[in-house]
Amino acid sequence: MSEDTLGSAPPPPPVTPPTPVTRKWHGPSLVWLVPIVALAVGVALLIRAVLSTGPQVTIDFHSANGLRPGKTEVRYKEVVVGRVEAVTLSEKRDHVQATVRLDRSVSNIAVEDTRFWVVRPRIDTAGVSGIETLFSGAYIGVDAGESTKQRRHFTGLENPPFVLRGEPGRGFVLRTDDLGSLDVGSPILYKRNRVGRVVGYNLDPLIDELSVQIFIEAPYDKLVNPQTRFWNASGVEVSLNSSGLRVDTQTLASVISGGISFERPQGTQGLPPASDGTRFNLFPDRKAALAPPDGPPLRVRMVFDQSVRGLDIDAPVDFLGIDIGVIKAVRLDYDGKRKRFPVEVEAEIYPTRLGAVRNSLRQEGDDETRRDTTLLQRLVQSGLRAQARTGNLLTGQMYVALDFPGKVSKAELDTSTAIPAIPTVPGTLADVQPQIAEIVAKVNKVPFDEIGRNLNETLSQANKAISQLRPEAQASLAEVRRTLQSVQETLQRADRSLFDPSAPIQRNAEQTLVDLQRAAQSLRVLTDYLQRHPESLLRGKPDDAKIPASPASPERR
Amino acid sequence: MSEASSLQTGSQMRLYGCPTCGRVSQLLHAVPDGTFLQCPRCATPLYHERPRSLQRTWAYLIAATVLYIPANLLPIMSTSNVFGETLHTILGGIEELRTGGDWLLAVIVFIASIAVPLLKIGALLVLVITAQRRSRWKQVERAQLYRMIEAVGHWSMLDVFVVVLLVGTIRFGPLGGVMPQPGLLAFGAVVVLTMLAAGSFDPRLIWPEEKDDTRHP
Ligand SMILES: [Zn+2]
Repeated sequence: MSEDTLGSAPPPPPVTPPTPVTRKWHGPSLVWLVPIVALAVGVALLIRAVLSTGPQVTIDFHSANGLRPGKTEVRYKEVVVGRVEAVTLSEKRDHVQATVRLDRSVSNIAVEDTRFWVVRPRIDTAGVSGIETLFSGAYIGVDAGESTKQRRHFTGLENPPFVLRGEPGRGFVLRTDDLGSLDVGSPILYKRNRVGRVVGYNLDPLIDELSVQIFIEAPYDKLVNPQTRFWNASGVEVSLNSSGLRVDTQTLASVISGGISFERPQGTQGLPPASDGTRFNLFPDRKAALAPPDGPPLRVRMVFDQSVRGLDIDAPVDFLGIDIGVIKAVRLDYDGKRKRFPVEVEAEIYPTRLGAVRNSLRQEGDDETRRDTTLLQRLVQSGLRAQARTGNLLTGQMYVALDFPGKVSKAELDTSTAIPAIPTVPGTLADVQPQIAEIVAKVNKVPFDEIGRNLNETLSQANKAISQLRPEAQASLAEVRRTLQSVQETLQRADRSLFDPSAPIQRNAEQTLVDLQRAAQSLRVLTDYLQRHPESLLRGKPDDAKIPASPASPERR
Repeated sequence: MSEASSLQTGSQMRLYGCPTCGRVSQLLHAVPDGTFLQCPRCATPLYHERPRSLQRTWAYLIAATVLYIPANLLPIMSTSNVFGETLHTILGGIEELRTGGDWLLAVIVFIASIAVPLLKIGALLVLVITAQRRSRWKQVERAQLYRMIEAVGHWSMLDVFVVVLLVGTIRFGPLGGVMPQPGLLAFGAVVVLTMLAAGSFDPRLIWPEEKDDTRHP
């Protein structure tokens, strides 16, 4: 169409000419509006993009674990405020450098005292913490600084910071020997309510002690006063000791991820709140936490000439039934002279737990430890001895009892070494086996067969006598009584030997004796019955034979 | 088609063919400046060289070039899932495909999204510049180039289609989805503007009138 070439034929005569129309627009073409609009749109888009991207900062971390360029988020109060753009190795290869693009909205967050750290999922035997990071991957946490000085290069923290700025509440430090299942994020519980969290922990290699940093949110931070006791409420605690089996649980959350509980001891509710950063001890359990405070422990030694199987570290030391200390070490020694293997047990006792006894028996002056040693010296002089006892027959758990056994040879507190040694007396452990054997033997000796035989004999005799000689019936009944008396005597004998107060195990034997006593009582009832109803011996023979078989309910016949 | 010096072109003879109804008319009298002609039968504007063709082409081309920058710098879409939101630029997507081992896909996306628009802009620039200078350089090749640009035009919309499809189909509610981003607007605008530029370019400009060509004998 563009080229009108019609071959060699001459052009046809002109036809109607085109109509001229006046142009309405004379200036430059309106089409130029298009690039202007495009420019405006493009610039607007770019400006918007530039405005929405905030500053770029670099953060040094020890490891790039969990940091993925383009994916890992930066979160401030759980709000995404940026993203990791690149992760590079430092020149010296000793750390990694994460390049982070912050959102424009938080561009003022990158100031002098802002802190960054990596929140990673932690999965271990204690449970899962930072569960959300399992799905989202690790992220970088931010704590906004308050400085006005801008900064572009940061060194990331290895652990989340102690307390976040601007968060109402208070931080405290707990000292402990064992972290248990605690981890960053573990809950702090008060009456099983979550009121705070573990924000970090670190091991001080100098004093070999763990410090756990916790944060209690406002307004619960006011519940913490200088007397508040904290204890580890991690998981299910099953303890088997000389006092039996004990199961303790806190909330399900703390079972999964560990936790710390606290309580204010009775009478300290009115105290003013503890100041920020106060250090507390973290007790292993509630019982330990709420026990009255113990003064400095006194180390003592005890040498036993017997097996102490069942005497474990942390077993209690008992003074007249009061728990006053704990076993710290059990060592085997060799006594060349006597060719024996004495066992040296070391324990810590808390003299303060003696209470009034301590104050009344102590000498004035000297330092605390010396005064307590003198106190111990006096007690030993009055007959105090250590004895290894079986606390639980079933498990064989033992404890050490400090007691006054009565007839003991004179002895002194051995203060020749740094740790004073309390004289010992043979413990119950050595006696337990023969004692049990003895009880069994004694129970065996109870002439049950004889009783039955005698009874039968008596009854048949009585039967015979009564049936044959009516006047002799009384005499026969007297014989029955005598036989039963002998039964009673036998049982009483058993009673006496088993109820020896020095016998350490009475419970099981007691039950046996109660049963025996019941049997004896039944026999007594029978005798009484026969006394009142002698004619019953004369009634139908088949029934007669059954009388001894059901002595407990003779009335029902 | 080479020129036939013995023949006169339509414009030399002041003949106008109506592109709509096919009627041929001849301008017999000079018309004043600022007037344009229309078909006496159907009133379609008549001209030998599309008026302001170069101007329009230039305008669309400049607009396309301007928007080509944000189209490639800005994300064209964002995908969100439970892991968070991820923004995708065209180049980033290609890079992801390449590192992911999908060489072929990366090449296809690169050609459709980066190379074709860029080549179109480049080719149109060559055409308008040579037309502006009334150049007689490689006219046949330039004509082929023009036809190619027109033919390929629709296919560089591929990305836009893909994104629009994704946005429409991938919806997981709160769990995730795909959202278009400003880059897509710029990208689509580039494609449309290059098509408009190609459309407003009058290919007759490749064949300037001999009498205007001073270099020609
Ligand atoms: Zn027409």
